[in-house]
Amino acid sequence: MKRIEDQTYYELLEISPDATPKEIQQAYDRAKETFQLDSLAIYSLFPQEEVTKIQAAIEEAYRVLKDEELRRSYDQSCPHLFKHLSRAQQIHPPSEKLHEMKQGLSFTDISLEIKDIPYRGTSLKQLREQLGIDLKTIAAKTKINPRILESIENEELDRLPAPVYLKGFLKAYARVLNIDPQRLIEGYFQLFQERKKK
Amino acid sequence: MGGHSQRVIWTIGGGKGGSGKSFITTNIGVCLSKMGTRVILIDADLGGANLHTFLGILPPVPTLSDFIKKRVTQLHDLLIQTNIPNLKLLTGAQDLLNAADAKNVQKRKLLRSIKDLESDYILVDLGGGNALNVLDFFLMSDGGILVVTPEPTAIENTYRFLKSAFYRRLKQTVSSYSAKTLIDQTMDPKNEAGIQTPYDLFQEVKRINEEDGRRMMEEASKFHPNLILNQVRSKKDIEIGFSMRSACHQYFGIHLHYLGYIVFDQEVSNSIRKRKPLMVENDKSKAAQCLKEIAFRLAHSGSLDSFN
Ligand SMILES: Nc1ncnc2c1ncn2[C@@H]1O[C@H](COP(=O)(O)OP(=O)(O)OP(=O)(O)O)[C@@H](O)[C@H]1O
Ligand SMILES: [Mg+2]
Repeated sequence: MKRIEDQTYYELLEISPDATPKEIQQAYDRAKETFQLDSLAIYSLFPQEEVTKIQAAIEEAYRVLKDEELRRSYDQSCPHLFKHLSRAQQIHPPSEKLHEMKQGLSFTDISLEIKDIPYRGTSLKQLREQLGIDLKTIAAKTKINPRILESIENEELDRLPAPVYLKGFLKAYARVLNIDPQRLIEGYFQLFQERKKK
Repeated sequence: MGGHSQRVIWTIGGGKGGSGKSFITTNIGVCLSKMGTRVILIDADLGGANLHTFLGILPPVPTLSDFIKKRVTQLHDLLIQTNIPNLKLLTGAQDLLNAADAKNVQKRKLLRSIKDLESDYILVDLGGGNALNVLDFFLMSDGGILVVTPEPTAIENTYRFLKSAFYRRLKQTVSSYSAKTLIDQTMDPKNEAGIQTPYDLFQEVKRINEEDGRRMMEEASKFHPNLILNQVRSKKDIEIGFSMRSACHQYFGIHLHYLGYIVFDQEVSNSIRKRKPLMVENDKSKAAQCLKEIAFRLAHSGSLDSFN
């Protein structure tokens, strides 16, 4: 637990350090709404002076992060911010993140996409397992051969069907898990590029 | 928590009277039983046990108090089969929660007997109070669920419950007498130590007992209560759940898991008047759809490390 003063601007707005400007805006709007004096969600919880402090901190975070220039120098001033985006953790995202993603599962109209998980085969598998869904269920729902699903998850690129089909399969799989199909396709096809380079 | 990955006990409580705890307990139970899993509902509401009415059955004769008074030796014998396959009911748990002398050992023993029941899910309706026994049951279960409606009175009650549960749990974690005393003081808003927030408390405890301070922080990070927002009428209402999550994060440093929302729906009271669960009477209604989503999420929440 961190005091307001000790939180980074990203922590304050509950976003990741590589958040897009749009995400920053959304997070700010929500935080502002949450910590308004007459907000229901904080009713009876905080002492008033605490709310004023949080409001000021949120405004300051937004002022800096919305400005490209200011954000860059802020980021440079605290390099530890980006440590957690190291490669190892991208492959094994912290469980909290998956927790959130799971929560987004059927909040259809307000789903929370978590941006810093690379959309790959391994992360598909991880998410699926976290949700307690077995491959058979995915196969039944998507009408895709389980063996192909397995190859998708294990990133056995040489066993995968032609790109046009693969795209369709990824889209179907993404829909079952309620994650963004476009991002999955992009992420997955990036894999091909990376492997080629090697 | 150990190996019983199957038998999961959820407790539903915390909200203000009439927020929908019993309605939700019943219907999530029906939903899970329809998914083919075995479910036991336990009515532990101190004030007014009424799950049987939601299910359209008569108030059962043997109750949990018979078990406590040893007139019945097997908890199992107290279970009543409802009209719904896979769904059983146990009533009278209020007598236990009511018992002022219910010792921790006794509570744990009852909890163990409950955990030994043949079932996949056990849902306990705790009713609206925040008596110590209720808090303990909430804390000892695998997952505690708070039901709140988007009204200041309901939210105030929910936070009061959450604070009581949170501090009680912390108190059970620390070992030094001085830390325990500080926690007690914190619950009084005009305390002499000037402690206003959990953060102040952490700092103060850390100062007097480093080890207890560390334990408390660790315990807080493991405390993941769940939230259901009931009777929502707008998209803005739905957002309150996310806002409450942020507020709890800032205030307690805990993760409040937003399980979902249920819209306000006239069909709810129609079904209650007919004494049939909404999931049976009208499972296409809007509120029923919301309940299904929540039940699905409960069934797939593999991370039941929420408590312990
Ligand atoms: N989603 C909903 N839409 C419309 N009405 C609802 C909804 N949820 C609950 N209600 C109404 O609220 C009433 C109270 O619900 P319920 O008895 O489940 O509350 P409770 O939290 O168990 O109350 P208590 O604390 O007194 O036990 C119900 O009779 C029902 O008419
Ligand atoms: Mg009730």
